[in-house]
Amino acid sequence: MTITIALPSKGRMKDDASAIFERAGLKIVAVGNDRSYRGRVEGWDDVEVAFLSASEISREVGSGAFDFGVTGEDLVREGIADADARVEFAARLGFGHADVVVAVPEVWYDVDTMADLGDVAADFRARHGRRLAIATKYWRLTQQFFSGSHGIQLYRIVESLGATEGAPASGSADIIVDITSTGSTLKANHLKILSDGVILRSEACLVRARKAAHEGNPAIDRIISSVRSAL
Amino acid sequence: MPLINLPAFAGDLLADFERLKTLRVDTPVIQPAEPFLDMAGEDLRRRIFMTESETGESLCLRPEFTIPVCLRHIETATGTPQRYAYLGEVFRQRREGSSEFYQAGIEDLGDTDTASADARAIGDAMLVLANRLRGRRLKVTLGDQSVFEAVIAACGLPGGWQKRLIHAFGDPKQLQKLLGELADPKSPGVFGPEVERLAIMGILDDEQRLVAHLAETMEATGYSTNASRSPRDIARRLKEKMELATTRLDKAALAVMREFLAFDVPLAEAPAALHAFARKSKLKIDGALSLFDARVAALAKAGADPSLIRYRAAFGRPLDYYTGLVFEIEAEGAPAVLAGGGRFDRLLTLLGAREHIPAVGFSLWLDRIERAIAAAGGAE
Repeated sequence: MTITIALPSKGRMKDDASAIFERAGLKIVAVGNDRSYRGRVEGWDDVEVAFLSASEISREVGSGAFDFGVTGEDLVREGIADADARVEFAARLGFGHADVVVAVPEVWYDVDTMADLGDVAADFRARHGRRLAIATKYWRLTQQFFSGSHGIQLYRIVESLGATEGAPASGSADIIVDITSTGSTLKANHLKILSDGVILRSEACLVRARKAAHEGNPAIDRIISSVRSAL
Repeated sequence: MPLINLPAFAGDLLADFERLKTLRVDTPVIQPAEPFLDMAGEDLRRRIFMTESETGESLCLRPEFTIPVCLRHIETATGTPQRYAYLGEVFRQRREGSSEFYQAGIEDLGDTDTASADARAIGDAMLVLANRLRGRRLKVTLGDQSVFEAVIAACGLPGGWQKRLIHAFGDPKQLQKLLGELADPKSPGVFGPEVERLAIMGILDDEQRLVAHLAETMEATGYSTNASRSPRDIARRLKEKMELATTRLDKAALAVMREFLAFDVPLAEAPAALHAFARKSKLKIDGALSLFDARVAALAKAGADPSLIRYRAAFGRPLDYYTGLVFEIEAEGAPAVLAGGGRFDRLLTLLGAREHIPAVGFSLWLDRIERAIAAAGGAE
C-alpha cells in the first residue's frame, strides 16, 4: 500500500518538520518545482507527501485520509472528537511549543485558580445579567476543561479567530482561552494565566491515523522508529 | 399533520392531558439557540443541532420543550396560573438511541401554592405513566434542592462555600470533591503577588481604598470598569476569598453534611427522619422542612401512592434554575428514566419575564416508554 504523509506547507513548522525527516533518513523532496504542494521521500517509492495547512492536517489524519501528519497537538485535540481513539501521537517532535491556557485580566486579584473562576462564573448571571463570556477558538478544549475537569458549566463561548488577547479589554469577552508560547502577548494585554489554568502543553507531533491496514505493516513501524531516532 | 412515527399511545396520552385540564401548545421546531446555551451552559452545544439564519442568528432544532413553552408564555403575555401540555419531537445528539425522538409533558406556570403544585406534577406524571404501563410498579426518586440549601446554610459554612456546594448539587462527583476539600483543606487559596503587596500597603483591609485602587488599575491598563466585573465586584469577592481561605470546617459539621447526603428513605418516612436528623444535629431548617412536609401531605391528598416514592437527599439537577423539587420515574425492571421533572422558579425571570412566575413541570421520554411497553409484552 502507498503510505501518505501530510506535512505543514509553510513557515517554521515546515522547515523544522523537513529537518527532522531528513535526520531520520526520510529526505522530503518536492515533486515538480519548489513551491509544489506534493512531495515524496527520497528512496521510498511507496510514500507520498502532501503539504497542507496545520489545521487541515489534523482533520485529514483524523478522518484517515492520510496515514501520517505533522501538526500541533492542540489542533488535533481541538479538531477531532475522541482524538486518542482515532489517532496515535507517534512522536513528540520538540518544536512548535505552545500552551493552551485560561487567562483572566490581571486586575482580577481574587481569581488565581479554576476554583476561583468557578465561583465567579456561578454568580455572574445574578450580578451582570449575562453569563461569563470566554473568547476562544478552542471550543472543544475549553468545554472539556471547564465542564469535564472543573465542573464549570455556566459560561458562554464567544468565537474569536484572531487577536483573542484583546477581547477582555475591548469588552467583547471577560476572559480568554488561547495559545501562548512566551506569554508576552498576554502580559502586554494585562492578562494572567491561572495557576492551574494550563489546558494543554502542546508541541508539534507526528500523528498516525489508527487504521487496521497499518497492523503488521513494517513500513509504518520503520517511519515511526526513524523519526523517533532523529529526535 | 398526522405523523406516522408517533408512538401508538400518543392519542391516549393527549386525552389524559386533556382530562388533567391542561392547555395543549405547540412550539416551532426551529428555535433560537441562545436561550438553551444560556440556561444549560456551553456543554449543551455538543448535544444539540445548530445552524445559522441568513442574518447570522444561531438557531437550533428544539432540544426540549420547557424553554420554548416558557418563552411562548412570556411572548404571548398569557396570565397565570396556566398549565400547558405538549407532545412533539425533540432533537439531541445521544450516544444511544435515535437523535430525534418524542417527548411530552406538562409545565405548570404561576401556581403560588408550591406544595400542591409540586404534588400535582408528580401525581400527574405517575398517573400518565401508570396508564401506559398497567400493572407495572413505578419507582419515583425525589430530591429537594431547597432542603439541601437549608442544611448547608445551617451548618454554618461561609457564603463562598455555600455557593460552591449549591452549584455542585446534583453532580455527585463534584460534590464529593468539594466535601473532600472541606475535610482536608490542602491549600489556603492561591493569592497573587499583587494581593500581598496590597496587604503590606494596608489597602486590602480598607474596602474604599481597595475599590479606588482597582478602578485606577483598570483605567491604567485599558479595562473598562463597567463592561465586565466592576472594581467593587472584585473587592467583594477578594474579601470572600480571604474568608474562604481562613475558614476551617469542623469535623462535626462535615459529618452532619455527609449523614444528610446519605439519606435514601421511603417518602412516607422522610419527614420524621429529617426532623429527627435536624433535632439531633441542632440544625435550624424548619422553613425548608415545613414545605417538604406540606408536599408529602399534598401527595397523599392527591392520591399518589407514597410507597412508590423514595426521597434521596443527594438527588438533584446541576442546573442553576432548579430551585426545589426534583424527581425521576422509572418502571421496575426497566433501568431507563421514563419521566423527569422539577421546580424551576428562577427560569421565567431568567428568560425575561417581568414578574416572578413560580413553575414546576415534567417531561416524558416517549421512546423509552414505548420500549418499556414492548418489554412487558405488548400494549397495555
